[in-house]
Amino acid sequence: MTELQIIVGNKRYSSWSLRGWLAAIHTGLNVDEVNIDLYTATHADEIAQYSPVKLVPILKHGPATIWDSAAIIDYCAHIAPEKYWWPTDIEAYAFARSIFNEMHSGFTEMRTHMPMNVAGKWSDLTLSEALQREITRAETIWTECREQYGQGGEFLFGSFSAADMMYAPLASRMETYGIKLNETATVYVQSIMNYPPIAKWVQAGLQETARISAAEIESEATFLG
Amino acid sequence: MTELKIIIGNKRYSSWSLRGWLAVEHTGLPYSELLLQLDTPSFYEEIVKYSPAKRVPTLLDGDIAVWDSAAIIDYCARLAPEKYWWPEDKAAYAHAKSIFNEMHSGFTEIRSHMPMNLQDKWQGLSLSDALQKDIDRVETLWTECRERFGAEGNYLFGDFSATDMMFAPVATRLATYGIEVNETAAAYIESILSHPSVSAWYREALEETEVVEIDQLDTNITRLG
Repeated sequence: MTELQIIVGNKRYSSWSLRGWLAAIHTGLNVDEVNIDLYTATHADEIAQYSPVKLVPILKHGPATIWDSAAIIDYCAHIAPEKYWWPTDIEAYAFARSIFNEMHSGFTEMRTHMPMNVAGKWSDLTLSEALQREITRAETIWTECREQYGQGGEFLFGSFSAADMMYAPLASRMETYGIKLNETATVYVQSIMNYPPIAKWVQAGLQETARISAAEIESEATFLG
Repeated sequence: MTELKIIIGNKRYSSWSLRGWLAVEHTGLPYSELLLQLDTPSFYEEIVKYSPAKRVPTLLDGDIAVWDSAAIIDYCARLAPEKYWWPEDKAAYAHAKSIFNEMHSGFTEIRSHMPMNLQDKWQGLSLSDALQKDIDRVETLWTECRERFGAEGNYLFGDFSATDMMFAPVATRLATYGIEVNETAAAYIESILSHPSVSAWYREALEETEVVEIDQLDTNITRLG
């Protein structure tokens, strides 16, 4: 029986889709997945069948339609409260909520200049100052989380949780663009990439044949930002 | 229990501060506030003492810091679970979370071209297409909420809740810039402006004398966006 339906964009490129999809999978419910190729002549009409906002991801659950990946994560937590989404300790919870939302409304340089591309691989790129500042901020957040709240697991707050769903596409970008990070952050990126649902998503992304030029930087690029 | 302290920017201009402050008010718990003048050298010297992300609003609960207004709202909901934050019904909850987050990461035209300003008034402004689209979307959201979920009160989901905190600064902007909206949306704006906490904030904003240049539009403009 299908309990949840998640509408996602290209797995190769759609970072917000990955976030919402991870939440749907995390509920443990049966998930039916609808894939829509983005940046085509018809994608807006296809998405419009599911949501008034015409953006992916979209989650459908009975009479409920949820758009925006942060909302999908919270909704999934609401319907599967037995799973681990947020740390119980109030201090850890405060930190988790803050960094979760900092990602949701920020990191615009990374979102603009380091598009998620699970099939791409670059190295030794020079970074603009603005981009470097955001990368350093992500590194600081991850390191602080792992050191202060990460005992009992490999992820930001121990076991895989809502905050990891939010930051997973950033970890994937660090990997794609060969960004050098401190040891703690590097290990965290590996934990994200090895997490079974993410590994599965990446595998599917690698098999996609559609290319979105807006999300592909040049293979010869030496500078980002 | 430690007292809560909320760090905010100028009441006249700081829309994100208003959101976080409304959440703290809503807890019913004792709190103090610290106002830092936006866009001044001392702002940057002061804010680093309180906020890891160097932004207002930041909520301090003893040693715990919460930044980002959406995180503050969620944190406050956890501190005061007996208050009304989110609708119970699943479909309503799904809708509330979706539009809450749509506001948190979107409506960039409104945010860029209609800065919150609680002292001045404009009217008869013509609007760019992009801005008009954002405004239409807000009007649709409010009308839908009031009609589908709002029957038991004057707000989006009945009584004043988390979603109203998120949209309150949009309601004040529509009032400030004299934007015409349908009757349901206009009545909703009135409900927001007459909410006791919003009016208390407004009164103090009216007494501020500092001008934040980047948020202050010329009184003679005829066009927005």
